[in-house]
Parts: sequence; structure tokens; C-alpha cells
Amino acid sequence: MEFRENVSDQVRTRYLSYMKNWILPTLLLLYTVSTNAQDNFQLARPLLKYSSAFFSTEMSVEMAFAEPNTQIRYTLDGQDPTEDSPLYTQPVRITERFTSVKARVFSTIYQPSDVVEATFIKDGLPIKSVETTPPNQKYKGSGAMTLIDNKGGTTNISGNTWLGFQADTVEIVVHLPKKEKVKNVLMNLLRDYGSWIFLPEKIEVYAFKNNAFQLVDNKTYKQDKNVNGSACVATVFALKNGIKTDKLKIQLHLVNQIPDWHAGKGNKSWIFIDEVKAY
Amino acid sequence: MKRNEFVKATSLGLLGAMLPVQYMGKTEVILGHNNKRYKINTRWSQADVARYPVNNCHEMVQDKKGRILLLTDETRNNVLIYNKNGKILDSWGTEYPGAHGFTLFHENGEDMLFICDNNRHQVIKTTIDGRVLMTLDYPKEAGIYTKAEEYVPTETAIAPNGDIYVADGYGKDYVIQYNYKGEYIRHFGGKGDTPAHLSNAHGICVDLRDKANPCLVVTSRVQNAFKRYDLAGKYLETIDLKGAWVCRPVIKGEYLYAAVLQSNNSTGAQSGFVTILDKNNKVVSNLAGSTPQYQGNQIEEMYQTIKAFQYPHDVLIDDEECMYVAQWNSGKTYPIKLEPVI
Repeated sequence: MEFRENVSDQVRTRYLSYMKNWILPTLLLLYTVSTNAQDNFQLARPLLKYSSAFFSTEMSVEMAFAEPNTQIRYTLDGQDPTEDSPLYTQPVRITERFTSVKARVFSTIYQPSDVVEATFIKDGLPIKSVETTPPNQKYKGSGAMTLIDNKGGTTNISGNTWLGFQADTVEIVVHLPKKEKVKNVLMNLLRDYGSWIFLPEKIEVYAFKNNAFQLVDNKTYKQDKNVNGSACVATVFALKNGIKTDKLKIQLHLVNQIPDWHAGKGNKSWIFIDEVKAY
Repeated sequence: MKRNEFVKATSLGLLGAMLPVQYMGKTEVILGHNNKRYKINTRWSQADVARYPVNNCHEMVQDKKGRILLLTDETRNNVLIYNKNGKILDSWGTEYPGAHGFTLFHENGEDMLFICDNNRHQVIKTTIDGRVLMTLDYPKEAGIYTKAEEYVPTETAIAPNGDIYVADGYGKDYVIQYNYKGEYIRHFGGKGDTPAHLSNAHGICVDLRDKANPCLVVTSRVQNAFKRYDLAGKYLETIDLKGAWVCRPVIKGEYLYAAVLQSNNSTGAQSGFVTILDKNNKVVSNLAGSTPQYQGNQIEEMYQTIKAFQYPHDVLIDDEECMYVAQWNSGKTYPIKLEPVI
């Protein structure tokens, strides 16, 4: 009898453990997947509201997301926001030279949104004037001055803040009022595959020294077919330990043949640029 | 760790991962605002993908038998006919590669269909089962086109007297008015800088809500607006829908419904939603979009808040006030059905 009881106990224990560890979880899992997976929606990204991403001393950035029971959380240090990041309650003050604002929405009902990001850029060295290859008539902004007017930094291409080019090489020459030690050159570009706007194939930066332009930095770009939507891409070029100069030249080389994965394959792309700065 | 322990741990871990989803599932998703709120059913269509494929699902209408007709640019079956439960009843059409606009008109008690084909640069009138009755080529007599390719009709609207209005939304943005026989009467709109001009005149409908003042509502999608004209093409006013790339206006009862292809703050990123305007043309609800807010008469920018839709292209409201949403460029997915929540 004792022996039998033990066996039946063992069987029962094993059966219960099997139910607990295997059958129930599996059933629950299947139930969960079959009933809920599809409507487990994600939140969309919040709005960052600002008239221009370029400023001279300080600015403030407003955020918006008109959906009840959601919270906007943000960071200013380049990290992706988490549920522990600061909660947005009022416009955020920006004073640093480059500030990357990242924001994201959370709620208990929906999955957290993707991250929305914008980089805010403060004035650098004074710039006297700027010359450029003539932009396309459709996207000529207010002439070459458009590149140093502190306006733009949004993805809206009909707002007159961008210069749009289809020239093979776009050349920009920046004149400073006097010789300065220049450590960095920044330009803000647009990537918007839907409008056939690609980052240039290559960018070269030259500084005028010893009566000639000398190549100081360059960057080549690989077009990433996996990115969606439009985005501003602020790119910084480093002039090693700094170069004393009063003239800079930037050459941007167009993607002459749009890659095969794009609807415009084989055609010329566009280059869009809205601001140049020197530091 | 032994294999079976590992498997067990993994399945328990998976269960743990699924628990929040389970919890979320209990909070039922309700989309929209005010008295226009809906439950969403993303699995309404029971169609077999192999047998009834779709490409872009462009527009939908309901016939007098209560059936739901979907127009797609998949030429294996340009028109899919569903019952309201999502079961396929019938299909037809193989010759509309650019099938885009789909309008149903009751002509002396009969259901008539008007298809706009972007690729063929034509408007085709058919019976409910697809027999072609009339084909309208590009309107040479209007004197505004030199060749068919300049004319890319996206939508039609039919006035009670049978007049046909065609919106050339992917061409020169004119609205062309014909009589019921397809004879050219006039054109208006077109691209330009005045309020009477249009930019991407993607949709059009006849608005009979104010019986004394019938009018046309025309989409100006790139401008994020609808524009009202009288039936002779005289511009009346602009309905600003800041931020919303509205497709065609669809009127049912006192309300105007429209699919919003995408939000202006996030273009090219599947940021669509659905908007609903009341009889005063004020936004009262956005399904999966921001809570409508006005500063005086000025609407605040609207945008997607919940990724329930990708690129909605048309809405249909059936005889039971249920909504169907057809989507463009959304992974060849079938329409979504939404039921009103009272």
C-alpha cells in the first residue's frame, strides 16, 4: 500500500508539474498569440515643434502628442528615451552648440513609439558671405544667403529654407570676415528618398592656406535603403588641430545614378542643403 | 542546462514576455473621438491571398444589395465583392492596371460604377458586374491637354442630374465636368496660386447635406485641405485640414469621412489615419490620429498617434454605419473594418 501510494503521488506530482510547466503555458501562449497579437498597436512618434533648428544664443523646443493617457519622455544626451527619462511638461530650453533632442511616447495601452530626433545647432564663427553653384530654379530659397540665414532644419522642402541641386558637383565657398582658427565645418543636409533627395556620394572640405585651397577632410556616404521617411542630416567635418583661414570650400558630389532598389533607379538624384557653419 | 530544462525555461520566458501583451489585450483599443469612436477589426477579410490577390486597395463602395466592392490595381481581379462579414462573393475585372477611383451612382434605380484608371488615362463607366457602358478619354475639347499622358484621372463624382465630374488629381489638377452622356461642359481648378486652384486634386464628391445649396467638395491633398465649389465650378471656400493628406471626401448622413494617406509631420513613413468632419465641416474625430483642437476657427496641426493604419486611401461607411478602410502600398493587405462604439 505504502509503495503504491508513493507511485501514485509521484505520478500526480509529475502530472501536475507537467501541466504547470508545459501544458498551461503553451495553451496560454497560443491563446495570447491568437487573440491579441494583431491589435497590439504601436504609438506614432511625437511632434517636435520649432521654427528653425539653427539659433544664435538660445532657443526652446516644444513637443506635442494629442492622444489621451500617453506621456512624452525625452533626452538631450543622445540616448534613446526610456520610461525613466524626463517627462515632457513644458518647452525645453537649448543653449549648447549641438544638442540632439530625442523624444518618444509611452502608454500602458500601446507599445512605445519610435524615437523622433532633431539636432539643434548654435551659431559658430561669423560668416561674411557665401557663394554657391546655382541651385535648381524650383528650390532656390533666397539665394546663396539661404545657407547662412539661421533658417531651416525642418524636413519641409517647400518652405524656402532649402537649396536644391541637380548639378554633378555643388561647390560652396564660405568667406569669413578675417582669418580665424577653424576647427570644424558643419553642413545640414536632407535625406528624403520619396522625393529623390539623397545624401551626396562624397563631400570634400577645403581650407584656403598658402594661396591655395587644401583638402582638409572628406566623407563618403553609403545610401541605406532600410531608412524610411525624410530626415535632416547634420554633418560635422574636423580640421584636425584647426587651420587659420578666412576662406573655406565645400564640394558635394551628386549621386548620379539612383540605386536599383529605388523607384528612380538610374536617374540623377537631388542634393538639398540648408545651412553651413564654421567653428 | 539539460535540453528539456532549457526548453522549459525558454517557454516560460516566452510566456513571461507575452504576459504584458495579454494584459494590453484586455484594454480594448477604441479609435476616434467624441461620438465617432470605433472598434477595429484588422482581420475582416477572409479572402484567400492566392485566389484573390490585391495590390494597392484604392477605393470601396457599397451596392444596393448591401455588398462591399473593393477596387484594386491587381489585374487578376480588379474588383472584389464581399459581404459585410468579409466573405468573398464574387470578383471581376482584368483590364484596369491603374484602377484608382471608384464611384457608385444610382441611375434610375440601377447601380452604375465609374472607374478612374491612372495608367489608361481614362474614366470607364460599367454596370455593377463590370460590363463597360462608356469610356471617357482625355478631354481634348477642353483645350488644356496636348496628349493623354498629361491627364491622370483619380476620382469621379456624379451629380443628381447625371453630370460627371472628373478630378485629374495626378495630372494637371483640373476638375472636368461632363453631362451624363459624357459631353464636355467645362473645367475648373487646376494648378496655381489662388485659393480656387488645387494641388493634387485626388478626390471629389457631391455634397447634398445642405439641400438648398448642393456643392462639390474637392481634395487638395498636398495643401492638406478640401475646397468647396458650386456645381458650376465656382469656388466657395477652403476647409483647412492642417497636417492631413486627405484622400477623397465621403459623405454619409450628416458627416464627411476621409482617409488620410499620411501625416505631414512624418511623410513616407506609414503615418495615416482617418478623419471625420461634422455638418459644419469641423473635425470631430480622428481615428488613430490626434485629438482635434481648434484655436478659434483655425485647426491645430493633425497627425497620426497610433500606428493602426499604414497608408489609408479610402473609407466606406456601410448601411449599418460600419467603416471600411482600404489602403495604398500597405503590404498588399486587405481592407480593415471598424464598428462604431455607442
